[in-house]
Amino acid sequence: MTPVHRRALEAFARWQEASILIVALLLIAWFENANHDFLLTGASLENLSQFVAPAAIIACGEIMLMIGGEIDLSAGMVFALAPFVMYFAADAGVPVVPALLLGLVAAGGVGLVNGVVTLVLGIPSFVTTLGTLFLVNGLTLTISHGTPVTPPGGQMLAQIMGAWGYSEILWALAVVATLHVVLRHTRWGLHTIASGANETGAREAGIRVIRIKIGNFVLTGVLAGLTGCLEAFRIGSIDPQAGGNQIMFLAVASGVIGGTSLAGGSGTMIGGLIGALVLGVLNDGFTLIGINAFVFNIILGAAILAAMLFNGYITRLARQGGRR
Amino acid sequence: MSIGAETLRADNIVKRFGAVTALDGVSLTLRQGEILGILGDNGAGKSTLIKILTGYQSPSSGRLVIDGREVTLGSVDHARSLGIECVYQDLALANSLSVYHNMFLNRELLYGGPLRLLNHRAMRRRAAESLAELGVNIPSVDLPVERLSGGQRQAIAVARAVTSNARILLLDEPLAAMGAREAGLIIDLLLRLKRDGRHSIAMIMHNYAQTLDIADRIVLMQHGKVTYEKAAAATSVEELMEIVRREYRAVRTG
Repeated sequence: MTPVHRRALEAFARWQEASILIVALLLIAWFENANHDFLLTGASLENLSQFVAPAAIIACGEIMLMIGGEIDLSAGMVFALAPFVMYFAADAGVPVVPALLLGLVAAGGVGLVNGVVTLVLGIPSFVTTLGTLFLVNGLTLTISHGTPVTPPGGQMLAQIMGAWGYSEILWALAVVATLHVVLRHTRWGLHTIASGANETGAREAGIRVIRIKIGNFVLTGVLAGLTGCLEAFRIGSIDPQAGGNQIMFLAVASGVIGGTSLAGGSGTMIGGLIGALVLGVLNDGFTLIGINAFVFNIILGAAILAAMLFNGYITRLARQGGRR
Repeated sequence: MSIGAETLRADNIVKRFGAVTALDGVSLTLRQGEILGILGDNGAGKSTLIKILTGYQSPSSGRLVIDGREVTLGSVDHARSLGIECVYQDLALANSLSVYHNMFLNRELLYGGPLRLLNHRAMRRRAAESLAELGVNIPSVDLPVERLSGGQRQAIAVARAVTSNARILLLDEPLAAMGAREAGLIIDLLLRLKRDGRHSIAMIMHNYAQTLDIADRIVLMQHGKVTYEKAAAATSVEELMEIVRREYRAVRTG
């Protein structure tokens, strides 16, 4: 490699999200070539945005947790719980906006339980949140009697909260932008990274690791609850079976595909958004091409692995090029 | 600058863990501008002593005097507020973070205003300045710490402790597992700090020759006690080896 090439590659590598962005662009180009309706029609673009948005919002919470070395498996169940709390609060006479906030408080409450049990009682978050996954799911099914209901409130609120085609993706972009700033430009973000990179060291430096991590569990709960409410307003129905493990794993996969390390210590919000986009492109692209639904998960799984390997390969290549 | 006033004194420090006595009445002093080398076998109580001096553990009995005032160190933060910083062997660096983020970890510089955002630019500049002042040479303060060599990482950890206004610096085997060139980096840094004369430095060491090169004074710990203390100039590797040799012969024949 010539020095100029090396420098260019290094600059590129320093831009963490570059490699996954290439993957996303290649996929989009390929599907666009295979089916010209893929991106350039409003309907399919809207469809894509509605797949990407929920995964991206929950991914933001999961990424904060994963950077700190934790994970929340219960997020998909909190997604289903929050709109029911909102519904029952509104049903009991609470105005709809405070009812929505109560739904988010309940979601944050599950996050708080996840965080306290994990960090104060010292149980691995994988186990804690596996427990709350079933617990919250059972709770939602019990209070809802397993029956879908209609979200409260008028047209205006519904439109803002997801019913208008692009409102959910706007929510997602706002959440990603906000958390990007939190992660890169606040002490909270920096201390989250430090807690994941070297927990003992972070403690020795006086960082309140427990507080930071519990905060990130609460954040993930609230974001999962918000997503559940957005989806309820978009679809016009609150379904006790909505979200679930599918959306949680999509969110975790978005984060990991986007370059967040499951081992902790590094990650990016923008990468998570692009990761969700990659999953959405795969989902929509294969659907439009007309792949059999049974074969679809095989291809999706393989594509996720391929995207992650490619991402890791580019990063490693760039690092070797830049080694002094 | 010559060696100044006494900054730290430990009097008859005892530390018991249940039936085990880790420290059996350790006394030592540390003066400003001085480097004290603490030598001893594994299990002699060196690490326990460091942990007590940093407020990480409290002694079972004994007195600690910092700058002429008797203190009971309640916590690491308390010790830190009195100017005591320790660089542990694990260095407490966050490997994925940049050099300048590590140097300002939990002491970040912020922009004013309600958002209190990180002032990366100021931290980057100040980190580069402090490292240049200390003669620590690294390619860029933007590099994540994981891209640096062991010696460079150790230097960053020491520089961080120094720039956090530590006056009493405790180093836990600063030269452990380091090649000659890497060790040279740290030795230069420590000698530069000694010339400045603003710090008191106590370091746990393994290598006798290196210790005698850097330290002004050495103490030898055996079985939780200080069994030997001398100015570095007044002793030699041979003399120290002889003491240790006598020790293990006594164990084998006894």
